[in-house]
Amino acid sequence: MPRLLATQSHVVHGFVGNKAATFPLQCKGWDVDCLNSVQFSNHTGYGMERVFGTCTSAQELQLVFDGLKVLSDYDAMLSGYLPNQESVACMAKNYKELKMKQPNLIWLLDPVMGDNGQLYVSKDVIPEYKSLVQSSLVDVITPNQFELEILYGREIHSLRELQSALHTLHKTVPIIVVTSCSPELFNDSEHLYCVASKRGQTPTIYRVPIIDSYFTGVGDLFSALLLDTIYNMQKGPKSKDVVSLDINHVLGIVQKVLAVTLENSPTNIKAAMGSPLTMKEMELRIIESRDWYVFAGPTDNFVYRQLDAI
Amino acid sequence: MARKVLSIQSHVVHGYVGNKAATFPLQYRGWDVDALNTVQFSNHPGYGHFNGFRSNANDLREIVEKGLLSGLELKYDALLTGYMPDVQALREIGSLLSDLCESDRDIKWVLDPVLGDNGKLYVSPEAVPAYQEILKRGAVFLATPNQFEMETLTNVKICDLESLKHSVTRFHELYPKVPYVVVTSVASGILGPNDMVCACSERSNSNLAYYFKVPTIDAQFSGSGDLCSALLLDVFLRQSESARDLPKAVNEVLSLVDSILLKTLKIHKEQMTSEDTLKINDLKLIECRDLLGDETTLKYIPTQL
Repeated sequence: MPRLLATQSHVVHGFVGNKAATFPLQCKGWDVDCLNSVQFSNHTGYGMERVFGTCTSAQELQLVFDGLKVLSDYDAMLSGYLPNQESVACMAKNYKELKMKQPNLIWLLDPVMGDNGQLYVSKDVIPEYKSLVQSSLVDVITPNQFELEILYGREIHSLRELQSALHTLHKTVPIIVVTSCSPELFNDSEHLYCVASKRGQTPTIYRVPIIDSYFTGVGDLFSALLLDTIYNMQKGPKSKDVVSLDINHVLGIVQKVLAVTLENSPTNIKAAMGSPLTMKEMELRIIESRDWYVFAGPTDNFVYRQLDAI
Repeated sequence: MARKVLSIQSHVVHGYVGNKAATFPLQYRGWDVDALNTVQFSNHPGYGHFNGFRSNANDLREIVEKGLLSGLELKYDALLTGYMPDVQALREIGSLLSDLCESDRDIKWVLDPVLGDNGKLYVSPEAVPAYQEILKRGAVFLATPNQFEMETLTNVKICDLESLKHSVTRFHELYPKVPYVVVTSVASGILGPNDMVCACSERSNSNLAYYFKVPTIDAQFSGSGDLCSALLLDVFLRQSESARDLPKAVNEVLSLVDSILLKTLKIHKEQMTSEDTLKINDLKLIECRDLLGDETTLKYIPTQL
């Protein structure tokens, strides 16, 4: 049975970070070791004045990593939201050691820094993630376009620039999945576009319909399911280098979870930031979606086109 | 819609005790589990080595009081409490949850009075009066002590069926507002070396306390008690209020836990190297998910105590 170490946030109520990632992966047979980078009452979308709890300090994180050292025998590692530079550096140091000890384990890094032009971690986190991405130790990164631009060091306004960003980052990272592109790249505000790119292969653009609502934790669910897909892809009979990256099924399952979430929410609800009673209804229905995580049947086709055909 | 439980227990990154033992089984059985972690340790102390840190009482109380209850106005169907980081947290969480249950009588609180095991206290001695006070106050719906905890809370040493019955009676006298108690494991060989005993009793009719004879498995497991309390919460609360049948719920939980332990043992033996012992650190909860989802076949016969 595959074993994962996941370092990201924990919320007591609701489903983001480790709470969004753990149960789906457990249902798929993963033994998930959850290292919680924070313990908050709920996610920050409820408004900062409604978030209670604590960040795990870098010293505390290090204590737990020390305790894990003798147990570590992981098939994969994942990291998501970490609250500050010290905690990112602590994760980086310990994950590097684990990766060097077991080069075959898959390291998925979600470089959580911000979205839509806004940074929501402190600036000094940026060089930590940049240096990790350049370390050649990380196997998969899942930035959104804003985070991709930070890692690349330049803004991206065209598909050509997107290609060049991927080309540059592929020098040190084998798999890049851009989880959401800016609508300007496709001149389409009805769909969410994402790009899956594997070094040496033509990137594929996927698009999914945008649901007019406010969901949180979707990215964390996505990266967890993506990790499972990549793990199985690389374990398959084909050599690691030739097998192609197909994330359609991952997108399909995420869409199913969103559909279950909508079905279980009051009708015509459009969540507003900071309205806790409304936000509460939009928490992902991770539990009610249980049977979808192991669904192996066909889902919709989300492939838009290849990125080289511009 | 998923039923909601707030579970306040320890968290281990690796392995399955405390909230890690309770959360997945409850989620798999359809509960939306709000897991508040009282500590974050790399693994459980049974390994002989571990590292980590404790949450402080004030942070825990704020998360529940200001975050979950006032801020989000969450309504819970059930509460589950286990290991607390210190006595102050136990007192504060105990009083907060008591207030909550008194303000909403539909909330059912399952309390595992974590004090120790096998004759040894592994928390501060001050935790004993703190638990006694919580139990006296009466917000707890079901308490799930093990033998040592039952002995400590009732001051009755359990060495045979008669003293077990006496301790159950004493429990109801001392804590008359707690409707149900399950003594999760009595292992002092009162029925013979290869059986352990589990007992259950309800306040409304303590003359009808029952016990179960459960064959012991020749291995040492960690987390089985935490799993047991979580499953009891699920199975017992799923029964309709008008037809509560505690012995049946206990039977179902003991049967399911036994199947999980047997499967864990089987997997452990398959992976065992020659130096390994039958001290099993981690329940194989993920491999047992089918058992968690299936209907449980009852394995035992309740006997009147």
